[in-house]
Order: sequence, then C-alpha cells, then structure tokens
Amino acid sequence: MAVVSKANIVREDLLRVEGVTKIFDGAVKAVDNVSLTVASGEIFALLGGSGCGKSTLLRMLAGFETPTKGRIFLAGEDITDLPPYKRPINMMFQSYALFPHLNVWDNIAFGLRRDGLPNDQIAEQVEKMLGLVQLAKYAKRKPHQLSGGQQQRVALARSLAKRPKLLLLDEPLAALDKKLRETTQLELANIIEEVGVTCVLVTHDQEEAMTMASRIAVMSEGHFLQVGAPDEVYEMPNSRQVADFIGNVNIFDGVIDEDKADHVTVRSADCLHYVGHGISGHSGMNVGVALRPEKILLTKDQPASAYNWCEGEVTEIVYFGAHTTYHLKLASGKVIKAQALNNTRDLSYGLTWGDTAYAYWNERAMVVLTQ
Amino acid sequence: MNKVSSTLRKFIKGRYLVIGIPYVWLLMLALVPLLIVLKISLSEMESTSVSSMMDWTHGWPTVKLNFASYIFVATDALYYQTYISSLKYAVMTTVICMAIGYPFAYFMARSPKHIQPTLLMLIMLPFWTSFLLRIYAWKTLLVDNGVINNILMSLGVIHEPIAMMNTPFSLMIGMVYSYLPFMILPLYANLSKLDMRYLEAAADLGASPFKVFWLITVPLSKAGIVAGSMLVFIPAVGEYVIPELLGGPDTLMIGRVLWDEFFSNNDWPMASAVAVVMILLIMLPMAIYNKYQSEQMAVKV
Repeated sequence: MAVVSKANIVREDLLRVEGVTKIFDGAVKAVDNVSLTVASGEIFALLGGSGCGKSTLLRMLAGFETPTKGRIFLAGEDITDLPPYKRPINMMFQSYALFPHLNVWDNIAFGLRRDGLPNDQIAEQVEKMLGLVQLAKYAKRKPHQLSGGQQQRVALARSLAKRPKLLLLDEPLAALDKKLRETTQLELANIIEEVGVTCVLVTHDQEEAMTMASRIAVMSEGHFLQVGAPDEVYEMPNSRQVADFIGNVNIFDGVIDEDKADHVTVRSADCLHYVGHGISGHSGMNVGVALRPEKILLTKDQPASAYNWCEGEVTEIVYFGAHTTYHLKLASGKVIKAQALNNTRDLSYGLTWGDTAYAYWNERAMVVLTQ
Repeated sequence: MNKVSSTLRKFIKGRYLVIGIPYVWLLMLALVPLLIVLKISLSEMESTSVSSMMDWTHGWPTVKLNFASYIFVATDALYYQTYISSLKYAVMTTVICMAIGYPFAYFMARSPKHIQPTLLMLIMLPFWTSFLLRIYAWKTLLVDNGVINNILMSLGVIHEPIAMMNTPFSLMIGMVYSYLPFMILPLYANLSKLDMRYLEAAADLGASPFKVFWLITVPLSKAGIVAGSMLVFIPAVGEYVIPELLGGPDTLMIGRVLWDEFFSNNDWPMASAVAVVMILLIMLPMAIYNKYQSEQMAVKV
C-alpha cells in the first residue's frame, strides 16, 4: 500500500523537533513535549482526531505559532524564532488559500517574485510547475474558475515553486469528494516523489496517512502515541488507542495464561487465544488481544482446534460490495466484527441473520496489547 | 393542472409586485424630482415663478427650451472655479479619510472579537448628537479665542492666536470629522471578512508583513475602499453646511453657490442648472464604480 521501501534507506535528518510544547492562553496544552526527526525525502504524517494538536504542531513548523518550549531545527539550523517568510518551508493550506484576485500563473509566481528573481527565471519555474501539475492550459484562470481538484493542484504547484526544503501539507485532500480523493491522492504522492521534497502531512484520515506517508505519528491530546511505518502502526499497534484509531479492531480483554518464549496463551470470556509469538509480559497479567476484522474467517461448522475460535450469532450483515462485514454476538454478549472478501458473486459464507456461526483465525493474526 | 398554473401565475404576479415596489420608490423619489430639476434648469425665471415650458400661443403646443443658464454656467469663470474647488476639497476629504480610516478599520477588524461591537458603537456614537451641533462645537474649538488657542496661549506655546477658523484648514477638519465614519464602516465590514489564511499563505511564500498588506490585504479590500470612497466623495462634493459654518467666505464650494442662486438671487433655473452639472460631475465616478461592481459580479458568476 504505502511507499515503505524508501523509508528504510538511511538518510540524514532534515527536520528535528526537540521537546516542543505549545500552551494557549496559559492553560490549554495543545502540543505537549513532542520530539521527532524527519529524514530528508521522507513523507511524514501526523495523524489524529480534531483537537489532538497536529495542526498546532504543523503551524509551529510553518512559523505561524511560536513554541512555548522546545526548539525546531531544519537542516541543523535553529529556525524556532524565524518568522514564516524567512523559513525555507512552504505549506499547502487546507482548502488551499489560493489568492482570489490573482490568476493561476500569478498565484504560482507569488513566492518566486518575493525572492526578487529575474522575470525569465520566474517564468521558467512557473511553466515547469504548471507542467508538473498539468495545468498549463489554465494559467490565466482565476482560482474560482477551477474545479476542486484543479485548485488543489495549483496549491501544490504554488507550494513547490520555491523548491522548499520542507513541504507542509494541511489536510491536503479533505476538501475533495471521495472519488476524486482516490485519484488525487496517488497523483499528489507521485508528484511529491518526483520532486523529491521532504513532507510533513497533517490528516485525520488514516487511509490518506497510510497511502501517502512513509512514516506515521499517531497523535492524541498533544503527544505522540506511536510513530512508525504505516504497516507497523496498523499491524503492531502499541496501545488500545492506536489500534482503535487506525482501522477497525476487535479487542478481547483477557488474562495471560501461559507465557512462553515462542508463544503466549490468553484466556478471555469467549475464547482461548494462542498467540504465535512471545511478548514482554507475565502470566496472570491483564491484556487486550486485538484482532482486525479482515483477519477473522467464518464457518458454519465448529472448528476442531482448541484455540482461536469462538461461537456467536449473526446479528448484522453489512454489505459493502467488495466485502461484507458480519456482526457476531458472542456468549458473553460481546459483539465482534468479521470482514469477508466477496471473492465470488454469491456471498461466500451463505450466512443469514440469526444463524450460529464460528469465527476462527490464525495464530499470527493477533496483537497483544499490554497498555 | 389548471389550478397549479393559476397559483403559479399568482405567484409570479406577487413577485412582480415585490420587485416593483423599490422601482416605484426610486421613480417617485429620485427620477421624478430629478426631471423636475432638469425642467426648471431649462426654463426662464419670471418675476416670482418659473416660466412654463409649454407655449400655446400658436394654437398648438410648442416646447421652449432655454439654455441660457447652462451657457452662463459654462462661460462664467466663477462656476468653473467653484466646481474645481469643490472637487478638490472632496478629493482631499476622501484621501484624508482613507489615510485615517483604513488603519482604523484594519485594527478594528483585527481586535479581539468581543470588543469589536464596542468599537463599532464608538464610531457611531457621534451620530447620536445633531450634526449641526457638532459642527458648531468645532467652531468653539477653532476660533481665535477658542479652546485650542486659549490652551496653547496659556501654555506659552504661542503668543498670537493661530487663525484656524474660516480657512481651508477648518473646512477640512469639519469635512474629515463628519465623513470619517462613512469611510470606516464599509472598510471595517470588508476587512473583518478577510480570510486570515490568505495572509498566512502570503507570509509562508516569503512576503514580509508590508508586502502581505500591500499585495494581499489591499487588493482584497478593494470593494471596501471603493465603497468608502464613494460614500465620502459624493456627498462631500455637494456639501453646504460645513463650508458655510467652518469654511469662511473664501472657501468656494458648489453647495454654497447653489444656496445663493436659490435664496439670494432667487434664480431657480440658474440654481437648477448648477445642480444638474453637479449631478453629472458626481455621476461620472458613480458610473465607474458601478462598472467596477458589475465586473466584479461577472467575475464571480
């Protein structure tokens, strides 16, 4: 899904944020002692719900807010106290903030003109940017004469025109409708990759973060819950909050029964889990076992295995076209979700409301959450 | 089907009625008086009243148009000078109001949301007192033995009173003072709607605070600038009370000439001709403004 390979190459740190805190009105801690490094060429996503502090952090990187505490370094230089117009950082604003009185050409040229470049160089760079976002034909149009997707590309061209060391993207796709978002997402990622600019992206949309970013920081209440590659954060969430925020998840509360180097067993109200890897815990410890809906299989026949299955009643069948989500009510009253890929045209399990079904899963499907 | 179309017809009639009211209003209160003034300007003055345009002496109606007043307005240097001087004072008033009003409106729009209504109140507070009274009050401040001269003399800053009253200076004080709110209000309305993200985007792209103001804030508040300037300039051209009370005998303004023609010379056609020319002078900037407005609209559609 994501461009994982690129992140693994070791590169020098471009952006370094050290213990940054932002307190508003002397009381509200919007960002709480956050540290992070972003390597050159990386696309780093700040993911979180509204009010988690991700936008404040981004605004501090752009220079619109000053940190209450902590320092921000760009390519080794302390930029904490630089005003926005002196930072080699450009931002693509949420809903774009294209200047309504200037046409596309002048919007893209705005930043270059501020650098006092000669006209022919400005023209050359603007043409290049227009080519990059495929809007050469629209150069003379005003922003309001463009569609949402075109405006988004102008905004991208404008923020890339000055060849910033760091590009900030504030909810880059939030203003587009779903269908357009999918194509634009890829386009955006491709352009950014082509230019090779380092990016910090703010989004509340986990899909957007996972498809675009090489690393994701999941934020809540001003601090990072987990930082890692998209698959890492998805498949190995380090807490219930992260597991819950990224995608759908079923969490079984249980107690560690057997704690071995190569496996653990966890007993929960409805079933016995056999987890095929060791964890840092001890027997008798209260844990949560996280299980993604797409990793659960359903059957009408009772599985023979002693582990990793449970019995329930089908209470809800939600058809999505490509897949179907079944809600299964277990004996304890807990409802779990199982997602089935519709790989044939008849619904694969032949289950209907009220049927008794058995959910089962692989020993490598689960994550044990100790936090 | 029939019923639907009849209710639809009623609805359309109602719509014409609603749209028609303002048109009738404008017709009665703007166009008709204007035509009467135009008619008077083309008549001759008889001993106590204006001559009739219609003449029946030949047995059929003939219309007599008398352009004497217009010819006089065009040839007499006094009128020409008065128009120029009126326009000069109106332009000066507009420019000074803009210079004071724009920063005023800007900081008002940027001030914390909860104190903005109070600031707005303070702008409108002078309207609670009679306009005439406020202009008289300036007189007591500006005359030779007035408040300002007395204070400066008692402080020893000056030994002779400064002659402020009955000069272009006192006229401009009165004009700017009276018209400033009409500049501030449309500018404030415009600037308070200005999206801060445009300013941030400009700063982000490397524009210094001054450049942000000049390249983004000013162009985006153009509509407010135009509206404020028109609201000040148009009434300022024809102003009568302020030059009469504060301007002294030497400040020429068209409003005073108009008054003299009407009430001292009792020459209605002449006064009307002066007024018609003044209206034409004012209509020119209005037409430019309207064209600008409709262009703005066309761009928006």
